[in-house]
Amino acid sequence: MSDVITGYYRPLTLDEALELAARADAVVLGGGTVVNAHPGRPRVVAVDLQALDLDGIAAEAGRLRLGATTRLQDVADSGLVPDVLRELARAEAPNTIRNAATVGGTIGAADPGSPLLTGLLACAATVAVARAGARAEHPLEAILDDRRLLDGSIITAVTVPVGGRAVAQGTARTPADSPIVMAVACRDADGAVRVAVSGVASRPVLVDPQRLAELDPPADFRGSASYRSHLAGVLVARALAGVGGSERA
Amino acid sequence: MTLTLTINGTSRTITCEPHESLRTVLRRAGCYSVRYGSDTGETGAAAVLVDGRLVSADVMLAVQAEGHRIETIEGLSVPGTLHPIQQAFIDTGAIQSGYSTPAMVLAAKALLDRNPNPTEAEVRDALSGVLDRETGYLRPVHAVLRAAAILRGEEPASVDVVHLDRLEGSGTAHHDRDGLAPLAPRVVPNSDVPATRVVGHAETKTDAVKLAKGNPAFTDDRDLSGTLIAKVLHSPHAHARIVSIDDSAARALPGVHAVIHHGNVPRVRYASGGQSYPNPLPHDQVSFDDKVRFVGDRVAAVAADTEETAQAALDLIRVTYEPLPAVFDENEAIRDGAPVIHDEPDMEGAHDAAHNIVHHIEARTADVERGFAIADRVIERTYRVHQVQQTPLEPHIAIARWDSDERLEITSSTQVPFHVRRMLAPLLGLPVKRIRIIKPRIGGGFGAKQEMLIEDIVGHLTMATGRPVRLELTREEEFVSSRSRHPQTVTFKTGVDANGKLTAQEMRVVANTGAYGTHGLTVQMVTGMRGLSSYNCPAKHFECDVAYTNIPVPGAFRGYGAPQALFVLEAHMDDVAAEIGMDPIEFRRLNWTGVGDPLDIAPQLGEGDPEAGGMPIIASSGLEEAVLQGERSIRWDRRADPGWRQPANRPHIRRGLGFAMAMHGTAIPGLDMGGASLKINDDGSFNLLVGATDLGTGSDTVLAQIAAEVVGVGVHDILVYSSDTDLTPFDTGAYASSTTYISGTAVKRAAEQVRAQIVDRAALLLGVPAESIDLHDRAAWGPDGRCVTLAEIALSTLHRQDQHQIMGTASHVSPESPPPYGAQFAEVEVDVETGQVTVTRLVMAVDCGVPINPVTASGQVEGGMTQALGYAHCEEMVYDETGRMVNPAFGPYKIYRADEMPELEAILVQTMEDSGPFGAKAIAEIPMDGVAPAVRNAIADATGVRINRIPLTPERVWRALQVP
Repeated sequence: MSDVITGYYRPLTLDEALELAARADAVVLGGGTVVNAHPGRPRVVAVDLQALDLDGIAAEAGRLRLGATTRLQDVADSGLVPDVLRELARAEAPNTIRNAATVGGTIGAADPGSPLLTGLLACAATVAVARAGARAEHPLEAILDDRRLLDGSIITAVTVPVGGRAVAQGTARTPADSPIVMAVACRDADGAVRVAVSGVASRPVLVDPQRLAELDPPADFRGSASYRSHLAGVLVARALAGVGGSERA
Repeated sequence: MTLTLTINGTSRTITCEPHESLRTVLRRAGCYSVRYGSDTGETGAAAVLVDGRLVSADVMLAVQAEGHRIETIEGLSVPGTLHPIQQAFIDTGAIQSGYSTPAMVLAAKALLDRNPNPTEAEVRDALSGVLDRETGYLRPVHAVLRAAAILRGEEPASVDVVHLDRLEGSGTAHHDRDGLAPLAPRVVPNSDVPATRVVGHAETKTDAVKLAKGNPAFTDDRDLSGTLIAKVLHSPHAHARIVSIDDSAARALPGVHAVIHHGNVPRVRYASGGQSYPNPLPHDQVSFDDKVRFVGDRVAAVAADTEETAQAALDLIRVTYEPLPAVFDENEAIRDGAPVIHDEPDMEGAHDAAHNIVHHIEARTADVERGFAIADRVIERTYRVHQVQQTPLEPHIAIARWDSDERLEITSSTQVPFHVRRMLAPLLGLPVKRIRIIKPRIGGGFGAKQEMLIEDIVGHLTMATGRPVRLELTREEEFVSSRSRHPQTVTFKTGVDANGKLTAQEMRVVANTGAYGTHGLTVQMVTGMRGLSSYNCPAKHFECDVAYTNIPVPGAFRGYGAPQALFVLEAHMDDVAAEIGMDPIEFRRLNWTGVGDPLDIAPQLGEGDPEAGGMPIIASSGLEEAVLQGERSIRWDRRADPGWRQPANRPHIRRGLGFAMAMHGTAIPGLDMGGASLKINDDGSFNLLVGATDLGTGSDTVLAQIAAEVVGVGVHDILVYSSDTDLTPFDTGAYASSTTYISGTAVKRAAEQVRAQIVDRAALLLGVPAESIDLHDRAAWGPDGRCVTLAEIALSTLHRQDQHQIMGTASHVSPESPPPYGAQFAEVEVDVETGQVTVTRLVMAVDCGVPINPVTASGQVEGGMTQALGYAHCEEMVYDETGRMVNPAFGPYKIYRADEMPELEAILVQTMEDSGPFGAKAIAEIPMDGVAPAVRNAIADATGVRINRIPLTPERVWRALQVP
């Protein structure tokens, strides 16, 4: 357990939460499963969002809305959520963690191998962010590119267009292991295809299936750079075949 | 801060720090069922229900849970009752050590509360957050399905033993495998085995109730006021001299009570392996040295009021290191010019310390060169086996205190309490009689706890402070600073004649014992023994160098050198069969050992003394039957079915089946010793005191069954206590597959003494001759059908007439080590485009003699296969170039979880081993032996690619597939 959390706040309103989140030493807790598992940061105060009523899954205006504090287990269990995102929420962690970890926390933590982030990226998710006096929506890839978009802010929701069809393909040491490389292809309601891949960069990335050779994956003991590049080619092709075509991103 | 938490329906006001986890706070509130497995939440031993959801209390702050409904297993049932889920866990044999059982029961409750009729997949998902290193998940999953059926008011599936028809010599198979209940223990009976009333039956475990309920039973559940927390400072360098240590700032920190290191702890040589007196050389360790030899080696330890203060004190110790060149590979370490790891002048007993060669081992039965010369074919291959960790879910933990007699009492999660007491005495400068070691329940060990690993630290700190001191390793420390399996480079050379008979076998090993030699000699001797005992061959040669390196220290790990040997041997035998064009099983059958064959390498490797007792001869083998049962279960004939091998709808998939033979030992002959005492109580129950240490395997239950069989009572009339150096007879401890065979025979003899005393008194009371009396159903029966109950006999002997305590004490050492045999089969799917291997089914048919308890024996096989699957497939300790382990956490260090398991089947093939109690041989370790080669051989069957290294991770397999 971390020994660096020196204060705890459970704000009752978003404005109160934003005021706290603006502190330099604030760390925002979704479920806390990442923050609490990784001690050794500077001393921080925790701002727990659980009382803000940011959870819930709803379909609205052609988009699926996942509230920021929606637990991953609820995503995995929801009939409103497309099958592939349910499957990827399940693949994110075992149930003891899914029952606490949240959608917003998954984006905040930005684990480079996250299956759910890879899926959301392929499915053209946007992230609703609140900061003092302002509300904004950013494409997920913008947030992954520039984490400063979250400074002093609170993620309130993630939305995904409905009507698409997505397929995920991964390679891992064992069936429930975190994938070494995962590719998710998503064909949206208009027929356009986006492909996201994890395990080939410091975060899940959108790729152009024609330009996979340009990837420069980081190596670790589970996969060298060249192997990861190879996997990206195989898995992207399989995912594209699964959504019926190879249109460019 | 002050919180109000609702725990099991009661509102509690609790004071805690903001950073404290829900686990810490619940334990402090008396919920001892919420257990430490790691800090990062993925072990699940600390899973609790919050608003009915299963969450990991490791990674939830206590304060996050304020305002929510918290349930732990303490709230599930009152004393004297069991929840139906708990009962189902007991009835199915789903509990081994029980460390994580409360979490599994809560997982089941959360599932069944919202879904009364779950599928197996839903149950597996519900258990996915609770890692288990013991059961292979089969029994817990079916416990939940059974509980669901019972709660729905339905008849649950049978858990009774199923007797399979014997296939050997029958020509055709009679039994229908379809419809076999997944959980029913499968036993192939043997007509040589006499009928018994308790032995051989699926009795529930004697310790199951307390474990199912999460009652305080483990080391950390001992709550002593004023206990200080110990923390260890570990080396950041793989190899360095300690130039200086300045502990002044640490000592000055308020709340710090002691700081110990090489400057203030006496330098006493020892070897940390928990082994019989005299401990094998080298004696190359001291409690704290002025040199460090791996990243994670001990530098200093502190005792402080709190964990935070102890950690802060570690940060204040100023250590100046002189870094030295390091070497990690065993082959590089023994080359000229390699850094010398043990250059201290006072180290004792290394073969050639200047070349980092701890031991050189040679054994031969005849001239192998002649054997190779007459061979039709000589085939030689080199293999590499890697380093893995035991990862018991309960890490090492010990608590020391001075008792009221000013003796040092240490409660420790150890497999070897008696060895620890003896080995500790000189390190602490205390006589053995001033030390008491108590072993409570243990949350798994697998050999990691066959070591005097941390008891000296808490001993020194209690002696320095006068206070109780507790030290628990973190999960990261358990990986880096505990023990692990020895890596080896092995070259195996085989000569074979034109008919497929072996003419010579040579095994040359370079083994890596890391920074210290503990177990380095004996593990490698077992490698030679197991590598060269399975098959008859006129000339065998074993040669081994054991090398010091700067990796964290290998030691004892379930199988003890055999899994390494059998991966190499059984991969190699498969390779030889392929090269000479023989069927892999037929080739082995032509050469494998059986009844009447000598264990001819054994006397050369310290097992069996030809001068004293002659060559050990194999007296029982069920191997042929085991192979036939396994072939039938795995459907071995599918190897010839192209449609199965290459499924039409999945073009990148190839399927294959693999086989490996396994042969193990049962205890160390002439060395392993167990003692037992048995006494009667007023009500005809008995106390059985044993030094044997049940790690969760069920050995207490097996020993109780043996006693119960002899004295004619039920297993739950035997109250087992194990083990405590003050209270129980000596036992070498739980290792080397010895407990059932050695300690079991000691129990049987003690019980036979008790039986004779009971019969004498019964003869007096009934007025019939003693030899006419039979004991069963808690009574002594005369030939005329009259009986006197054991309670009446107890009252008579204790209170009324010619009073004496009916009791017996006995011990046992065996000159023999009868081999259990196993047939291991694996079914795999290989994705030939990515190299990903999916193991879809594992079957092991084992001859363990007579299984005393078919449920616990099946659990040993299922759990052992699962641990062995990790060795084969996904587990590995990985280091960066500085020698720092890069994956010291579950996840990166991957162990299988409930929702990704292959199908498992264990089949118990009975043989009658006359040297064992009621015919028993060992079962605990042999399931570790065959999985890696069987999976490797299955990949070869699927793809034609023969891979000579494990683990069989995707990139390794893919790269092998790229070689034309």
